Amino acid sequence: MLFDLAWRNIWRQPHRTALSLTSIVLASAITVFVLSLQLGTYGTMKESVLKLMDGFAQAQPKGYSDDPDIRKAISDPQALMTRLEGMPAVTATAPRATTYVVLSNGPRSYGAAVFGVDPSKEAEVSTLHKTIVEGRYLREGDTDAAILGAALARNLKLSLGDKLIMLGAAEDGSVAADALTVVGLFATGAPEADRQVVEIPLTRFQTDFAIGKRANVIAIAGRHLSDIQSALPELRAAAHEKGLVVRNWAQLEPALNDVILLDASFSLLMYVSLVVIVVFIILNTLLMSVLERTREFGMLMAIGMRPAQIGRMIWIELLLLACIGVALGIALGSAITAWVARDGISFPSAEALFSRWHMPATIYPQLDAVSALAGPLAIGTAIIVAGIVPYLRVRSLCPVSAMRAS
Amino acid sequence: MTAIVECRGVTKHYRLGTIDVAALRGVDLTIDKGDFASLAGPSGSGKTTLLNAIGGLDRPTKGSIKIEGHEITALNANALADLRLRKIGFVFQAYNLIPVLSAVENVEFILQLMGVEAAARRARAKEVLRDVGLEGLENRRPARLSGGQQQRVAVARALASKPAIVLADEPTANLDTKTAEDLIALMSGLNDRLGTTFLMATHDARVISRTRRHIVISDGGITSDERRKLAEAEPA
Repeated sequence: MLFDLAWRNIWRQPHRTALSLTSIVLASAITVFVLSLQLGTYGTMKESVLKLMDGFAQAQPKGYSDDPDIRKAISDPQALMTRLEGMPAVTATAPRATTYVVLSNGPRSYGAAVFGVDPSKEAEVSTLHKTIVEGRYLREGDTDAAILGAALARNLKLSLGDKLIMLGAAEDGSVAADALTVVGLFATGAPEADRQVVEIPLTRFQTDFAIGKRANVIAIAGRHLSDIQSALPELRAAAHEKGLVVRNWAQLEPALNDVILLDASFSLLMYVSLVVIVVFIILNTLLMSVLERTREFGMLMAIGMRPAQIGRMIWIELLLLACIGVALGIALGSAITAWVARDGISFPSAEALFSRWHMPATIYPQLDAVSALAGPLAIGTAIIVAGIVPYLRVRSLCPVSAMRAS
Repeated sequence: MTAIVECRGVTKHYRLGTIDVAALRGVDLTIDKGDFASLAGPSGSGKTTLLNAIGGLDRPTKGSIKIEGHEITALNANALADLRLRKIGFVFQAYNLIPVLSAVENVEFILQLMGVEAAARRARAKEVLRDVGLEGLENRRPARLSGGQQQRVAVARALASKPAIVLADEPTANLDTKTAEDLIALMSGLNDRLGTTFLMATHDARVISRTRRHIVISDGGITSDERRKLAEAEPA
């Protein structure tokens, strides 16, 4: 009864109802699109940064992230890699060994991080090979080859084919010294990587630093970051059996995680403002309608309708408006987002900025349950909760004064 | 005779800013079952205030009001709403109907509030609309009915719950002479045929002349209460 009456009431003023619905539909559609774009941007940022070197997750010895000591090593990396690669979410794994060394060329010396990598495996996990600007990436069969950041090579005055002297401490405490041949230079756009990273074949690293067949970390790749995130419990269980831990993307790139959280916090303010504006528009319209119908409410109370029933009827009117508006808004926002997501949105002028995060200049909105529903549902819920205002107003009416209202 | 309404010492004071206004001053009044009574008096005499107090729309400052023997002055808002729903039918001067509902739905609405099952309430709504001469107009919304037809729907709605009394506040005030006379004849006929008790606050001499009991109120007190025999009742 109340539902039917409320439904008819909202169409008494079709123009006003259309205006209210339009506000809800547009606001809902905007939140769907903007949130999808935002999540798409975050996804691209995360995947671009992680694919460069980290991988989507890493298996490491306990405490390695706090103290990356070469002695904290995985004794049989191949066994765990085989186990991990058997999981549906995992597309590739790559073993790495790392330590800090002094690199020299004649009188010039610089500190750097040296990574021992398996060239064939590494190319499936990392996109570093795509950032080679001179020469080539490491390949199977390389013995004394090294690639390093273009900025580091510049500082050391090294060119392709030059000898690079590496001096460090082996696991057994002896001096690890080697002369390597520069076969490639990379430029990632990230200053730290370009100034401080050198990669050499894992076998050479294992020999130079006397770590046998061991590695320090296993980098894990998947088709999408979300696949690996979902598989984390399984990955952790497998790593745990070997006495290892798995670090997820936020632990591998805490700075990126902080940037995303900060941006999301500012965006939240924008969303809240949008919701508040829409709620005020709808509430204003409804209160106007309540004011206009005060005499009618007086009559309804006189014939035996309880004030709470009238309040509920008004609240149902709001509920209907919110449900229709939100449903249409989700449909419109999703349709626009899906259409835009086909080709993505190009930002050619922001290419330099995006490259800071190794991102492409085209961003694809990410339409999923969260981006499609979070904003519209927040709007709908806020409107329905705000309905308490007209509800209480109607409940406080007394029949005689209501019927006297002009 | 069975008393439907018993008012004893009913007093109502309003505050208008700092001024205390006495709208009713100790009204004693009994309305018996089957009465067809008019309540007349000049503007501000207390007609509507008394009608509202009897109908449970407003609470008296002092005194007792009983409907079918039940004291109503101490009832809470929900109990008063139930009383109005089940025991009292209202017909107002204007804004009587729910504009988004058809004539039959307006009548049915009361029965829906009472929890009457769908088929029974539709049958009852059609029956009372037939009683007030609106057969064939059941599905029209108020905007597509004339003023007189709207008041007839209001009367039908007031009768739908078979109330103890129908209270009408200036029911003919917005109607032309012919329509007003038809409405009075209708209510008089319903009183004759069905024994429905009517109390009508009115200025209208045509209404007053058709009632069998004429009560005059002035300055918040009953000054005259006359029962009379009408020569002939026109058919509804």
